[in-house]
Amino acid sequence: MEIKREPDLEEKLKILSDAAKYDVACTSSGVDRKGEKGSLGNSRAWGICHSFAADGRCISLLKVLLSNDCIYDCKYCINRRSNQRIRTSFTPEELCTITIEFYKRNYIEGLFLSSGVIKNPTYTMELMYQTLFLLRTQYHFRGYIHAKAVPGAAPEIIQKIGYLADRMSVNMELPTKESLQLLAPGKDHQAILRPMGQIRQQIRDYRLSIGKTASMERHFGNQYLSGNIFSSSGEKSSRLDGPAEALPGQPLVPSGTALSGIAPSSPPFPEKAASPKGASRPFAPAGQSTQMIIGATPENDYQLLKVTQALYQQYDLKRVFFSAYIPLNEDRALPSLDTAPPLLREHRLYQADWLLRYYGFQADDLLSPSRPDFNIFLDPKCDWALRHLELFPIEVSTASYQDLLKVPGIGNKSAWRILQARRCGRLDFSSLKTMGVVLKRAQYFITCHGKMRYRTPIEEDFITRQLTQSEKSSLWDLEHPQTYRQLSLFDDHFLEVPPTVEDSRKIITGQL
Amino acid sequence: MVVFTCHDDFESMMTCIYDAWAARLGHSNIKLMTEPIEEPELFCQYRHVDPDPEKYKKVIRSIRSKISENAYQDVYRAAMHWNPEKLDIIYRFLVLGFARGSQVTRMLGDPYVSALFELDRKVTNESHQFREFVRFSRLNDQVLFSLIQPKCNILTLIAPHFADRMPSENWLIADKKRRIALVHPSDQHYFLTPVTPQELAHMEEARKGDTYSSLWKAFFNAVGVEARANYRCQRNFLPLWYRKDMTEFSG
Repeated sequence: MEIKREPDLEEKLKILSDAAKYDVACTSSGVDRKGEKGSLGNSRAWGICHSFAADGRCISLLKVLLSNDCIYDCKYCINRRSNQRIRTSFTPEELCTITIEFYKRNYIEGLFLSSGVIKNPTYTMELMYQTLFLLRTQYHFRGYIHAKAVPGAAPEIIQKIGYLADRMSVNMELPTKESLQLLAPGKDHQAILRPMGQIRQQIRDYRLSIGKTASMERHFGNQYLSGNIFSSSGEKSSRLDGPAEALPGQPLVPSGTALSGIAPSSPPFPEKAASPKGASRPFAPAGQSTQMIIGATPENDYQLLKVTQALYQQYDLKRVFFSAYIPLNEDRALPSLDTAPPLLREHRLYQADWLLRYYGFQADDLLSPSRPDFNIFLDPKCDWALRHLELFPIEVSTASYQDLLKVPGIGNKSAWRILQARRCGRLDFSSLKTMGVVLKRAQYFITCHGKMRYRTPIEEDFITRQLTQSEKSSLWDLEHPQTYRQLSLFDDHFLEVPPTVEDSRKIITGQL
Repeated sequence: MVVFTCHDDFESMMTCIYDAWAARLGHSNIKLMTEPIEEPELFCQYRHVDPDPEKYKKVIRSIRSKISENAYQDVYRAAMHWNPEKLDIIYRFLVLGFARGSQVTRMLGDPYVSALFELDRKVTNESHQFREFVRFSRLNDQVLFSLIQPKCNILTLIAPHFADRMPSENWLIADKKRRIALVHPSDQHYFLTPVTPQELAHMEEARKGDTYSSLWKAFFNAVGVEARANYRCQRNFLPLWYRKDMTEFSG
């Protein structure tokens, strides 16, 4: 739908941020860059969130589309061609001014630029490039830029953007080839993987050229974890092909030949394509990420987690994001409009994602083809621990970092603090608590100097009951506000009878 | 019991530690507190200590050389906490630190070290959150200004971040509670200066006139997904008391 009057800046911002809000990634992390006199902005590797929206998600970047005028007709997308919506675009100057002014007021850490596909992918990315080029050179912006690569765009333009952006991402959209064909007929899974492979290759080339390791930095704890997913990606990924092929819907990534083919054998991209100013800039220093929609198609958690792991290993992604499917369009191929977004499932997948990246777990440790979905009542780590009770209890005063991380309720910060504290003093349960250990969960799995906190048996049924009890009661409270209550002699349960005259007289005479 | 008291600034606190130590009354017979003293105790003798450059420099130098640079930073951050008990905790930490050396920062099992660690963690977290939640306003391309009311005295901790972020801008951050402001002239070093209530009231009035605040509110409201509304999660990450001076929650 074309409208006669050009919308003003505020309306445009509303339309184009509303259109971009279903993109998940809004992180500003992964790169440290100091400020410079005469320019504006810096960047911190740990990332800075500037606000939190009503859905509890962080707002750290100005997340907008350059344009919502899209030629594709992806069934799940709000901006699909066949939807009747107001179509509008930012000019590069408008977007630069908003970014700079927002940045100065400390509203944002930078810009997240995505776009609907105008005319064709390469043309769209040319427009994005113009904006980013203006922002970096004319406006001297040194803050964070996250740019989407549009699948199907020419490699040269992706490369040019990579030298301006801090993070690049290509949306996987759906975890398997079949689902993609079903829901996004204009897109092709090879076309999605190609720019991913290219970006991975160029990040690696850049890193090697400045004397860093070929693959991205990971959390320092990973070096103490044998068998983590980053340690030996080569042999692990070949091992990963076996079970993957046995799956009903063939996951997109672990197909060995197709993928491992892309990264190394793709022709080196011409070095001259980098702009002269670009030559001194790093190529996507904060790495690349991707996102997948979950709940729109019938993949199970096991498949999703395997794809996630394969993406980390083969494409060296910094993050994989999951997006619970929110019904926006009506279509036969999609779940009905009243489907609730699978938020809990998304949450469990993120928990598992953390276990892969920080705790040295593998996808196959957590799930298997015979147990393909996460437990609703228990987080993946508790669930894993309950299936491996033979490893517990763990003695905190002697256990290794790797063993400590396996305990539910101990994270990498608290594990690290335990290692430091026990070197120069005696540990006890109260000091564990101040270090950040969640004793509510950890107490069933640890001993401190040979003693458990309370006399609790290491028994699957018992611990499961204890761990789920607190959560269950809070779930019950949520679903049944003010209905049933436990009877008690000492409460007057909404007793509405007013005191009679006799009652007050009895009180005076002391009979009551 | 002798209680040494001083004003709530870092120099006074370090001088107070020097005097308390030099009094040679025995560590268990003294207590240190920052003023104001809300409820004076019975059977306590209160001694006020004024800052003395020679003494506090000595204390700072010996923390840095005899314990460690890390310990000094922990102590500095802990000293910015709002709790008047912090000074006593710092003192006990230093007593232990001068005996044990640099390893003291790792002895989290010790009650005083873990108490200091907790103060430090609170101040670090709060200063990080103010790095995120400070909002500047600006009228007609003049100076960028911001008003905040933090619980801990975090101005000096967030200053390097903003100086690095906007080196060539004129900006100031004013702490309404303590009536001090951090001022950064373009391309120069920042400094702390007291502000008057009139200046604060003037800024309070002026920040309503910023034209970009309505754009930001429009963006903020558009970017949340209604189908995932979760106000509890929002409150966890962004507690209500931080929202007092944030553009998107005002008006």
